[in-house]
Amino acid sequence: MRWFFLIFTILVVAAVFGLRLRGDKFSQPPIEIFNDMDRQYKLKTQKPSEFFADGMGSRRPIEGTVPMGFHLPASKTEGIKSTPLDFSVGDSYMDTGLVGDNYGKGFPEGINVDEAFLARGEERYQIFCTACHGDSGNGKGIVSKYWGVPPTKPSREQSNSDEGYQQKLAAYLAEVESYSGIPPTANLVDPRVAAFPEGQIYHTIKNGKGLMGAYGAMIPVQDRWAITAYVRALQSATKTN
Amino acid sequence: MGNIFPTWTNWIAVKVLICLGALGTAVVALAWYSWTPKYTRVGYMPQQPIPFDHSLHAGQLGMDCRYCHSFVENSSHSNLPTAELCWNCHGPGKVKSDSPKLELLRQAMDVNDENYTGEPIKWVQIHETPDYAYFNHSAHVNRGVSCVECHGRVDQMPVVYHAKSLSMGFCLDCHRAPEKHLRPLDQITNLAWEADDVDREKFYEELSAVKGVSAQKLKEADSNKDWTQELLGKHLKEGWAVNPPQQCASCHR
Repeated sequence: MRWFFLIFTILVVAAVFGLRLRGDKFSQPPIEIFNDMDRQYKLKTQKPSEFFADGMGSRRPIEGTVPMGFHLPASKTEGIKSTPLDFSVGDSYMDTGLVGDNYGKGFPEGINVDEAFLARGEERYQIFCTACHGDSGNGKGIVSKYWGVPPTKPSREQSNSDEGYQQKLAAYLAEVESYSGIPPTANLVDPRVAAFPEGQIYHTIKNGKGLMGAYGAMIPVQDRWAITAYVRALQSATKTN
Repeated sequence: MGNIFPTWTNWIAVKVLICLGALGTAVVALAWYSWTPKYTRVGYMPQQPIPFDHSLHAGQLGMDCRYCHSFVENSSHSNLPTAELCWNCHGPGKVKSDSPKLELLRQAMDVNDENYTGEPIKWVQIHETPDYAYFNHSAHVNRGVSCVECHGRVDQMPVVYHAKSLSMGFCLDCHRAPEKHLRPLDQITNLAWEADDVDREKFYEELSAVKGVSAQKLKEADSNKDWTQELLGKHLKEGWAVNPPQQCASCHR
């Protein structure tokens, strides 16, 4: 009995000190005993699968088929009712932002720009756009700290004195010297962008432009238009004249 | 008739019982402590193929969870971002595009890279409910359950780890008392949110639109109550008619 308790005590002490405590960080996969019900042999979202030769559980659409959330490209889109989760609606203006080969002006039929739509646009804008374009659309989002926003040249009119202007100019030139040269994020409230037709803003969201990647795969059609509407609202809010 | 058994056998039964009792207690204690997701899952912090820093992206940079997990509001599955989405910011000429940490991303995306394979990035899943429990993200985030309730302060984790147990008891605690966890829908991805942060005027106005009672009346009814998470959650629960199911078949189907 003495021996039993000696070994017993040693084991308990070893267990208390040797085992990981609750909440301790560990990197080995959690232990699962008899896990054939926990981890069933079935196809799971975004998981690999041994069933397919290429090992990918998420299959690419078979040629000639249309995935859910997409519509067949059709010259006419009459009769297609777009739902909030559609990623394409035929090849209409609503889908492409193009009329013929040009960017279309105005919002397409079926898009009703009201308060709720703008609020949706604001929410989506803040999710997908603020990181680069900034909350106010001025192109100075948080990413600009990593990309560098090019310095703006001071204008003589804004300075009170010639001396002040020279100082600002010197600071500007020093900034230009250190500027990394990576192109800036577009200033959405700039008159240049404000002059874009709606179709062009939509087209840019969907397909990207320059350094900006395409967001068509992340943002459904209706939300792209909602963001377009919100960008318009930002532009009219910051209009100076 | 001599003694068949020596004297030490007089106590053997008692001694064996004591030893078995001690052994049994130890086994029960061990099982109580470690045979639970609080032990087996909490703290799971695997190394990811790319050391993506949530505390940087979601914390310091203030990016919304939904920038990457874009379909959490629409789908039962909260998606991992495609490599293409990472590439939107980390592509050539953009943020930290030469970082050695992004080698796998370049292999997946950069067709001009000599090591290009097009292989998807094999992220390690941390939070993984058993396959017989069907959890729906969209049902929760659209009814005021924030990411933080199950995933913890991911915006403070340089390396994400399993923060809550996600055991069945954990689910039921909330399903039985949802008012302790609900919050307004525009604060779902604000992991630092607390009930005190709410603009009460605005809250009562929105609530009156949902409940069909004037904001003034609602406010007066609460005039001598403390502003707590329970009070706010109770309003939201009644307003949205939140009635979390507790039948087995609601999650095990």
